[in-house]
Amino acid sequence: MRIVIAEDDALLREGLALLLRAEGLDVVATAGDPDAFLAAVDRYGPDVAIVDVRMPPTHADEGIVAAVEARRRRPELAVLVLSAYVEQMFATELLAGGARGLGYLLKERVGRVEEFLAALHRVAAGGTAIDPDVVAQLFARTRPDSRLERLSPRERDVLALMAEGLGNVAIAERLFVSEGAVHKHIRSIFHKLDMAPDDRSDRRVAAVLRYLDGRERAR
Amino acid sequence: MEATQIRRLAGEARGSTGRALRDLVGGLGTAALALGVLLWLALVAAAGLIGIGLALVPSAARALHAVADLERARLSRRGAEVLSPGPPPGRWRAVLTDPATRRELRWLIRHATAGLLLGVLGIQLPVWAVRDGTFALWWRLIPEGGRTPGLGLWTVHDWPGVVTVSLLGVCWAVLTVGLSPALARWQAAPGRRLLAPGPGTDLSLRIAELTATRAAALDAHATELRRIERSLHDGTQNRLVATTVLLGAARRMLTRDPAEAEVLLERAQSAAEQALAELRAVARGILPPVLADRGLAGALSGLAAACAVPCRIEVDVPGRCAAAVEATAYFVVAEALTNIAKHSGATRAEVAVRGSDTMLRLRITDDGRGGADEARGSGLVGIRRRIGALDGGLTVTSPPGGPTTLEVELPCGS
Repeated sequence: MRIVIAEDDALLREGLALLLRAEGLDVVATAGDPDAFLAAVDRYGPDVAIVDVRMPPTHADEGIVAAVEARRRRPELAVLVLSAYVEQMFATELLAGGARGLGYLLKERVGRVEEFLAALHRVAAGGTAIDPDVVAQLFARTRPDSRLERLSPRERDVLALMAEGLGNVAIAERLFVSEGAVHKHIRSIFHKLDMAPDDRSDRRVAAVLRYLDGRERAR
Repeated sequence: MEATQIRRLAGEARGSTGRALRDLVGGLGTAALALGVLLWLALVAAAGLIGIGLALVPSAARALHAVADLERARLSRRGAEVLSPGPPPGRWRAVLTDPATRRELRWLIRHATAGLLLGVLGIQLPVWAVRDGTFALWWRLIPEGGRTPGLGLWTVHDWPGVVTVSLLGVCWAVLTVGLSPALARWQAAPGRRLLAPGPGTDLSLRIAELTATRAAALDAHATELRRIERSLHDGTQNRLVATTVLLGAARRMLTRDPAEAEVLLERAQSAAEQALAELRAVARGILPPVLADRGLAGALSGLAAACAVPCRIEVDVPGRCAAAVEATAYFVVAEALTNIAKHSGATRAEVAVRGSDTMLRLRITDDGRGGADEARGSGLVGIRRRIGALDGGLTVTSPPGGPTTLEVELPCGS
């Protein structure tokens, strides 16, 4: 897996590179600003880009813009966006073109190395990684939703992990249940929420997020 | 104890006399202008009697408002703000009945006469004090007929006469110290009374102005909040994230390669220490604790004492300004002194802070090599940003070879 890191904070950039290299991953280039990042993507043709949202010159959403541009130039590039705080708008913007090979995580998740590496590998393999906080925010919107109310607590757990981008096996591991049980929960969820079942996880994530996000829009 | 008290009293007297003399000189300037305008108005009135003056009324009114505005600005600079009653009416008929214009006219007459005399007297007193006080040194150098005291009442022929003149000089000096503040007050009084909006003036313009400044203040507040948010997110938080990243990496390394894990832990610790340092810097940037404890003067003296270059601080601020203004003033001086110590090669620096109810002015000077350039990423950029956030102004004068002067204006209060 060939990785490019775009992060303007030098200490964090080097820390990330050090961590990934220690795990035997191939960090081919690091960049401190959007232009250098895009140049590195063009030059090295990486598989995955890890991109900070806030980058020079204005430290607003230059990272998101650069990530979208990198995807336009190299559609097969997987992008994992790191953010200082959860901003629903960034997630929505990023996922506008589908959830395939995309991740949006809070920066501090990197410290939980195993989970971070799992997310990185998932994204690199065309999957999705959405930060639990983003999912929690989507759930926390208080408008009573009769359909969500119908879900059992366990089904809500499964829905949340699905929204994060986890596959059936990973969900089963996380909840200490069998894969068959997860499968059953998922079928039940899709039925209760009136959604077409889909086994491919990225499409599934997109559908779940759309559902949760759409709930917000309809308000 | 007594000696220090006397010294303090002497210092205060010198300060108040100096201020009063500056006020009197400024007042004399506007009084001279007022006299000019008064003569012009008299001319226009006389021309009005024979019919051709009416066309000149608007221009005469404009001149009146202009000199009145000058005086308002001067009085506002030197003390409590004198509000403008708003723009004068445009048509000449309205001009003649406008109450604000009538008040300005009454002020003009007083200021052009009594104000002028007070100004002249106020300046004459110290001149006589110096002249007569030093009479003994030079009275022999001038021709006999000219050997008179400042008032020129009698001619001096011998030493007892010289002593009398010297004593007269001392009297003038005492009068200068004793009377100048009162003279300045009397000179300013008609302006303070008559140039402010009279009772019943329409204050809608003033309200609009206040709304605008309030909006600007809120803007400045937002800018300040953004700056703080940014330094927390892009500085402190990044250090903490780096800490967790390094800790995570160290944990993974612990079984594989303990020596390498140790190195990572060391780096994690130093990243956490950096986070702490930045957090302290952010907190200090929001409101330096020393400001709350010591006030602006005390806090700035602390800065001067800590500065590598010998630094003299002079603070003349009545009461306290808004916390944000004081914090910015403190930050600006701290940055400027750091710059001076690092880049200027100066041997001494001077900081002067003067405040009125509406404006805090800083002046930071050094005798260094000059050539400070904002484009080359010095601390000046940060200084300008901080000042801009409060809608203030910064003027940098730094010719190659020096000296460098920073002049800062920070609106405060209202």
